[in-house]
Parts: sequence; C-alpha cells; structure tokens
Amino acid sequence: MKLALHGVGHSFLGRSVFEGFQLTLGEGEVVALLGPSGCGKTTILQIAAGLIEPLRGRVERAYRRHAVVFQEPRLLPWQTTLANIGYGLAASGMSRSLRDAQAAARARDVGLLPEDFDKYPAELSGGMRQRAAVARALAVDPDVVLFDEPFTAVDVGLKRALQDLVIAAAETRSFSAIFVTHDLSEAVRVADRLILLSGEDGRVLDSRQVAGQRGRRSDREIFDMVDSWSREPEFAELFDPRRQS
Amino acid sequence: MAAGGLNLLGRAGAWLGRYIWSGWAGLAGLFCLVAAWQLGHELYGSFILPAPGETFAKVQQILLSPGFPAIAGVTAERALTGFALAAGIGTIAGAAAGYSFATMRILKPIVTVILGVPPIAWIVLALIWFGSGNGSAVMTVVLAGVPISFAGALEGVATRDRSLDAMARTFGASAVTRFRTVTLPHLLSYMFAAWTTTIGSAWKVTVMAELLSNTGGVGGELATARALFDIPAVTAWIVVTVIFALISDFGILHPIREAVERWRSASLPWGVKR
Ligand SMILES: Nc1ncnc2c1ncn2[C@@H]1O[C@H](COP(=O)(O)OP(=O)(O)O)[C@@H](O)[C@H]1O
Ligand SMILES: [Mg+2]
Repeated sequence: MKLALHGVGHSFLGRSVFEGFQLTLGEGEVVALLGPSGCGKTTILQIAAGLIEPLRGRVERAYRRHAVVFQEPRLLPWQTTLANIGYGLAASGMSRSLRDAQAAARARDVGLLPEDFDKYPAELSGGMRQRAAVARALAVDPDVVLFDEPFTAVDVGLKRALQDLVIAAAETRSFSAIFVTHDLSEAVRVADRLILLSGEDGRVLDSRQVAGQRGRRSDREIFDMVDSWSREPEFAELFDPRRQS
Repeated sequence: MAAGGLNLLGRAGAWLGRYIWSGWAGLAGLFCLVAAWQLGHELYGSFILPAPGETFAKVQQILLSPGFPAIAGVTAERALTGFALAAGIGTIAGAAAGYSFATMRILKPIVTVILGVPPIAWIVLALIWFGSGNGSAVMTVVLAGVPISFAGALEGVATRDRSLDAMARTFGASAVTRFRTVTLPHLLSYMFAAWTTTIGSAWKVTVMAELLSNTGGVGGELATARALFDIPAVTAWIVVTVIFALISDFGILHPIREAVERWRSASLPWGVKR
C-alpha cells in the first residue's frame, strides 16, 4: 500500500460533495478515477495531495514524495522551461547544476528538445507546456503521481502520445498513480483499475479491474471494453450531454 | 574566453542599441513639446514664457556653475531618501496586508482616503509637525509616496496566482520559497509601476517643500529666481527638476525593470531578445 483514503468526506460551504470515500492505492498501481464534471474528482485529488484537509476521514501515506500534474500546466511564466522542470528539485534545495542536469534528462524523456530549454512558457505550444508539467512531476522521482485530467485540453493525437508517455514512465520509474479523467477510453488505456463516481452525490458507482496489462492492451481491446462498458447503466452519466461541462 | 567576452559585449551592445532606439520615439514627442513651447513664447513674450533656447542656455549655465553639485545634492538626497523610505515601508506593509484578507479590507479605504490628500496638504502639515528643516521635505515625500507603494504591493499580493502557489505547495516548497518564486515576480510588475510614480512625485514634492519652507536645494533656487523675477532661471530650474526625474526613472528604474522582467517580452510578438 502506498496511499489510502479512509472514509473521506468533504463539503464546501456546508454542501457535501462526497462521503465515506475509500481508496487504497497499491505499489506500482495506476487507478483511474472517473466521473462526470463536478462530482468531486479534483477535490479527492487535492485531499490526496494534502492541498486540502478532508473534513471527515483520514489519509494514510506510506511514501517519500508525491507530485501532481494539474489540468493546466501551471508553469511559472517568469522561469525558463528547464527551471520550471527543475522547480520541485529547487524547492527541495538541490543545487543549480545538479537540478539542471536532472531536469534536462526528464525534459528529453518527455520529448522536449534542447532548444526549448531556455524558452519561457509563453513561447511553448500547449502540448509542450503539458509535457513540461509532466517532466516537472517526474523530475522529483515521485513514488506517487496524482494526475488531474492532465490531457483534457490537448488535441487527440497529442493526447495519445502523452498517455503513452505516462504509461512508459510508470513502467520505468515504477510509481503508483491516481489518474483523474472523465474519458473512459483514456482510463482504460492508462489504468489497472478504475473507480467510477456518481455525478449525483459523489458515491462510488462501480470499481473494477481492467483486463490485461497496462500499456500492452491493443486499440481493439480498448475499443471493445469502452464499447461494452458504456452500454452499462452505471456509465450512463459519463456520456450524458447534460452533465458535460 | 575571448569569444565569451565578445558575446557578452555583443549582448550589452544589442541591449544599449535597443534602449537608445526605444528612446527615439520619446525624443520625437519631446521635440513636439519644445515646438509648442516656442509657439507659446512667440505669442506671449519672454516675460511670461522664455524661449526654449534661452532656457536651455540658462540650464547649461546652471549645470556648469560651481554651486550646482551642492544644491542638486541637497535635493537629490531628500528626494531619494524619501523615495527609499516610502518604497520600503509601503511595499513591505502592503505585501503583508495583501496576505491578510481582514487587514486588506480595513486598510484599503484608509489608503484610498490618504491617496486623495494632495501632496501640498502634506507639505503644510509636515511644516507644522517637523518645522522647516531637512525632515519636512523627506517626510512629505514619504507621506505622499507610502500609500502608492502600499496600494501597489497590496494589489500585487492579492492578485497572485493561487493555482501556482498550490503547485509549489505540492512540491513541498517553503513559504519563503513560494514568496520568492511565485508571488514576488508577480508583485514586482505592480511595484515597478508604483515606484515609477513615487520616484517622479518624490522630485516634485521635494522641490515644492523646499520652495515653501525655503530650505535650500532646487526649491530654494526656484524661490530666489521667482523673487528676482528671473523668469529664464525659473524655467531652467523646472527643466533641471524634470531632467532629474527622467534620469531616476529611465536611468535607474527602467534598466532594472528590463533586466528583471525579461520574461515578459516572451509573450510579445517579437519575443525575447537573446
Ligand atoms: N473551493 C471551492 N469552493 C466551493 N465549492 C467548490 C470548491 N471546489 C469545488 N467546489 C464544488 O465541489 C464540487 C466538486 O468539484 P470538483 O472536485 O472540482 O469536481 P470535478 O473535478 O469532478 O469536476 C463542485 O460542485 C464544485 O462546484
Ligand atoms: Mg476537476
């Protein structure tokens, strides 16, 4: 076990978002958290990341470091790409030369070119910014990575490349991850297990293991799984146009 | 080694070139002003408005006179001391207030009221409170300048990007690190605007206070020239004050801002000059 949420519940301004949420994240496991917009996915992730204290329940952590990849890149506009990627290392007090070397290695892993290293975020494309955000998270060598719909804003082709990048990184760097998404096929591609939340009350509607090994599933298998699951009543909310933000 | 030095020299040259080039537009505007001044002179005559040429000859005479460094020194010391105090106190207090919602709510209306008090009123009050010494000119600059820096810093901290702050917290960044890397660069853009206003008003207010309290410096000279009906000297001293204000803005604040905010040009169409 790396991370566990025990009976976690939270409310904003007295309005309950979800109650009694239970999650145990195993070693090297990637869990997809699925649900329509507004069901509390980001809140659960922020609780896991320690950004907000849950009003009810508790969080148990059995790891050294975590890192978060947000929906937006959240790069510092006044720092170069390389400095942004090394931000987590700088925050933990690593020297400039060490952190630049480590950041450059991670930047190359996510497909950034050396000529981009000195650019400011405003000079990067949207996809490159999100690559840099992923590199920044990986640079601190985290045991747990929390992804909050990281690829929603990028176009389809790039989305796939970035998903492959996460799958590969999870393999080689063996971190555990919670991957929040509202895209069923993305969940089926990147995760070992998925948890489906209700848009009504944030309740867990369904929790299931995804067959096959992550990263080895063919497009055909993924398509068939998504196709058959999306017919199940539990998943109906996910595809309800009224629930899309 | 030599290549590195040459590269650095090239960069400095490019920077200077750009700086001077951006000055051209400013110069063009200034010449329009001088032309209008000349027109005013021709309409109203020397006694109301001395010609620019006459004035600049007088300015040259003033700048070269042996007493000038001492006179300018007195005013510069007051203006810059006042500016440093105002910017320091205002920025620190404003940034602190920006972090506290309650403080912000209480102080904002107070600052708005204080900002509404004209500098001339501060001069009168400072003369009453501190007498007509060195202190009253400096105090006036401080009183007029603190609210500007305070308001800028408060606004800067209050509008910091909280999502970037949250990002920094997930990496375990300390409060000091977060201030330095997330809040400060954002705050600085507000501060440069506030400091530019403050340093400009510091010169004006100092000269005003000196004139009213008759405590030497440029204001003292202005008072003397007025008493002697030496109108070219009056306009010349005004020009000298403006030159001081321009030097402190374009000679000090602007280059610092350019260096600190290089990243800003990244989002401009012509990008960052490297
Ligand atoms: N800071 C906040 N203050 C008040 N309400 C919030 C806040 N953050 C989220 N909420 C509310 O909590 C619910 C869940 O939000 P969120 O966790 O962001 O959902 P999701 O990420 O699944 O789209 C939404 O109804 C949202 O309006
Ligand atoms: Mg969300």
